[in-house]
Amino acid sequence: MDELLEILNDINPDVDYETEDRLIDGKVYDSFSIITLISNISETFNIELGPEHLIPENFNSAAAMWKMIQSILDEE
Amino acid sequence: MSILSVSFLLFILGLCLVYFLVPKRFQWWVLLAFSLGFYALGGLLSLPWLLLTALSAWATARYIQDRADAEKAFLAAHKAELSKEERSARKAKGKKTRRRALTLCILLNVGVLCVFKYVHFLLAQANALAGLFGGEVRDSVRWIVPLGVSFYTFQTLGYLCDVYWGKAKAERNPLKLLLFTSFFPQITQGPISAWNDLSAQLFAPHSLDYDSFSLGAQRLIWGFFKKMVAANILSGYVSDVFANYGSYSGLATFLGALCYAAQIYADFSGYMDIMCGLCQILGIRLTENFERPYFSKSVAEYWRRWHMSLGVWFKNYVYYPIAVSKWNQRLGKWAKKRLGKAFGNYLPATLALVVTWLATGLWHGASWGYIAWGGVNGLFIIFSMWMEGPYAKWKKALRIRESAWLWRAFQVGRTFLLVTFIKVLPEVGSLRDGLGLWKRIFTEHSLPHSLSELLPFVGDRRPLLAVLFSVGLMFLVSLLQRKGSVRALLRRRVPYLLRICVFVFLFFLILYFGVPASGGLGDFIYAQY
Repeated sequence: MDELLEILNDINPDVDYETEDRLIDGKVYDSFSIITLISNISETFNIELGPEHLIPENFNSAAAMWKMIQSILDEE
Repeated sequence: MSILSVSFLLFILGLCLVYFLVPKRFQWWVLLAFSLGFYALGGLLSLPWLLLTALSAWATARYIQDRADAEKAFLAAHKAELSKEERSARKAKGKKTRRRALTLCILLNVGVLCVFKYVHFLLAQANALAGLFGGEVRDSVRWIVPLGVSFYTFQTLGYLCDVYWGKAKAERNPLKLLLFTSFFPQITQGPISAWNDLSAQLFAPHSLDYDSFSLGAQRLIWGFFKKMVAANILSGYVSDVFANYGSYSGLATFLGALCYAAQIYADFSGYMDIMCGLCQILGIRLTENFERPYFSKSVAEYWRRWHMSLGVWFKNYVYYPIAVSKWNQRLGKWAKKRLGKAFGNYLPATLALVVTWLATGLWHGASWGYIAWGGVNGLFIIFSMWMEGPYAKWKKALRIRESAWLWRAFQVGRTFLLVTFIKVLPEVGSLRDGLGLWKRIFTEHSLPHSLSELLPFVGDRRPLLAVLFSVGLMFLVSLLQRKGSVRALLRRRVPYLLRICVFVFLFFLILYFGVPASGGLGDFIYAQY
């Protein structure tokens, strides 16, 4: 989780990732931030993220992202 | 059938009567019958192409869904027997098969779209090329482009991709998918809806509800007012300026360009209001296409607020898949190592934006003007993205507060002018004409000495008053919409009788100014796309 928080803080350090749960729905992250996020998550966790993962529920909070990463790692 | 005809009013009256009289489980059948009827009235020859799209998408989505379900069931049943590698190999094989089916269906439908939309453009380019060598390529193709092909193809392909990515369940009933593809309020000009949003509305039972009826009817009248009074009167001015800008002053040409910005907004958003109002009466919530776009503070924001459903479509099905594709991510990684972290972060998004904006230009029309239009839009968005860091530093150095109203007003004004200039580029005629109009605005500085010199495109001045009133009213409504629905506000603040009077007044303006202006000018701009 620390690695993920590092990635998120690198993109936008002004967000409280412990409580924020509307990163996409609340338009905190724009489409460019999402692409940067996906690049960095794929690289750091060595997983493949595709368009099928791009739903707001997967990216609205740090916890949701962490859950998605875990489920991809489990599947692989 | 023209939307601005008595036949259309009778058509929707008939629809509402039958829709609310039949048992609720048959309501979607009524929508399907009326949608196919509407489509057939527009030209029976287009119907087979619509059916081809709906049925190919239905069959492919079923195939993809069945294969995915079978794979999931197999993996669950043999969880203990299969190694991790075997499971991965099976998944990869299944994905490859499903992707092949998806690709075939996309190629078929995009192929049909391209043949109908771009054959004349391609033949013209081939002819120009052949001309260099003394040859000639004749364009003898005479076919009718299927009504709404750009809209229904995109909507249906969006459904197919969603099923492939597991974001939507494949529909088992082909007639339900046919309704999704052919739903008449959105077939000619969108919105391009997602299956998960629209299907729930289309197939749910709906009762006649006073609030929905009243609010829907108000929006319908407002839409007709915008289209028939504002857009159609302005259309005459704009056509005149686009045809004669070479003999008009720079200021008159600039005012003509502003008229076009107002016309296209009134035209397209007016259509949306008519159709959203009608759907609200039926109890169906259509995807919204506008969110006060001329109050945007950047070109990127403008495109998130203008023709929103098309922007979302391109974002979900073109921009994201390209930006997160393996090859693009690898390129980003390579650039990060060699050219720096920022460059590596920007590169995948930039490449995806270039493709997205050229495709958006081509979607709007087969001409160099539209390709340039897409390119210029993309250029502004990409430039803003790359310059975000330096901009932040400059604003800090100049002590500009983002929330200061003067700064926001400057941003809104600047964006409005930029998008107005970009908008007119493909609409004047050829790309050369578009650039010529830009040049005229910037290089012809004579000052007008009378109103007829300032507005040489205005003949009778009474319709001009109606235009000024309607544009002023649209501006006021947009300002009020900042705090929510204006119809809800009217209901809360304005007595019932006065509210009736407001809409009766709009109705009379439509009859007095809109009907004469709509003879021969009834077409909607976005219907040509």
